[in-house]
Formats: sequence, structure tokens, C-alpha cells
Amino acid sequence: MLEDATELEPDPVIEAYKKDIDRTLIRENLRLTVEQRFKNLERLQEFAKEIRRAVKEQSDRGN
Amino acid sequence: METDLRGLIRTLSQGGVEFIIVGGAAAIGHGSARLTYDLDIVYRRTAANISRLVLALSPFEPYLRGAPPGLPFRWSDETISKGLNFTLITTLGAIDLLGEITGGGSFENIQPHSLTLNLYGAECLCLGIEWLIKVKRAAGRPKDFEAIAELEAIMEERKHLDS
Repeated sequence: MLEDATELEPDPVIEAYKKDIDRTLIRENLRLTVEQRFKNLERLQEFAKEIRRAVKEQSDRGN
Repeated sequence: METDLRGLIRTLSQGGVEFIIVGGAAAIGHGSARLTYDLDIVYRRTAANISRLVLALSPFEPYLRGAPPGLPFRWSDETISKGLNFTLITTLGAIDLLGEITGGGSFENIQPHSLTLNLYGAECLCLGIEWLIKVKRAAGRPKDFEAIAELEAIMEERKHLDS
């Protein structure tokens, strides 16, 4: 088990990934309450389901 | 199948189950913009809590996720007591029950590093962001690299907001 969670040494691999993080989305989310963040996730899940359905429908029509 | 996170969290909370939200759902709580499809929890491994967990999820037909149908899997106190970590599918969606988490250990180990959230009208515990990063780093899975980077960026943005 890790003993100390206060010190996070920078990891060069993670630092490389960090360059591509969209911080505008993070800043928007940090303005929300935790419950609002979960509600956004529910809406995203709904959207993911709907767009997959639409893509499948389109693909089925093409076949 | 999509996962009804609200339904799962409410079910566990209302059933009096002692658990800590970890993984992608915990990251959402901290401000992540990434989509997650399951609920990962660390549950307390006491006999009483295992009974509450089994009772709470029973109506939702827990079964081993990805396993062929018809295996002799019995959702019972005995099954949970004899095992540790379970990757399950229920009628509410996917849930991972972790008796221990890599890099963090048991419920008792990570509880002091968790936050109490009022979520969907119930109080529940969520692993703090520093420890969420620690356990994801300890797991060492390449698929987590972007998630870790985002969590670290969230910490940096929070510090920036606080200063």
C-alpha cells in the first residue's frame, strides 16, 4: 500500500499526456457541484447511447 | 447496456452498504470530463456489510460480467466472503466490487483518504483525488495514463482557483 498521498512526483509519461488535456472542460466542471457533474455524465451516457443507435441505423440502411 | 449509476449508488446507500466510490465515477465527482460506463466501489469486508451488499444487489441479478451464461455462480454471502474482487453485470448495469484496490488496499485503508458526498439524496464516500491518482498510478495500466493526466490537471486547476 502507498504510505503517503501528499507528494506526487511528476511522471514524464503522464506529463506528456497532460499537454493534450482540454482544461477548458475541467474549468467548466469545477464550477459545478458534484451532483451536477454526475447529472452531466448521465446526459453524456444518454447521448452516447443515442448517437450509437443513429450510427447503427445509418449503417444498417447502407447494407 | 448503459449503467444506471444513480440507481446503483442509491441502491447501495439505501441498503446501508459501506462502500467507497473509486475509478471513473470518482473521477467524475472530482471534475473529470471523461465518460465512464461502470461503477467501481471498494466495499468493507465485514460479515455484516457483505450481507447488506448481497441483499441490496440481489433484486438486480448480479452475474459475472463477460462470463458465459449458465455458470454455477451463486450471489451469496458465502461467494463474496470466499472471493475478493468481482466484476459484475446487473440489471442496473456494470459494477466492480473491490475488496481491495491496487495501491490503496482495503476499505479501512482508504477510508481516511475519502470524502463524504451527498449524492442523489444519500451520503456516500468517494476516494479523494490524490489517492485516486495514486491508485491509478499503482495499477500501471496504459489505458489509465490519460485519465491520470486529467486528474493531475484538475488538481493544478483547483490550486490555480484557490490561489
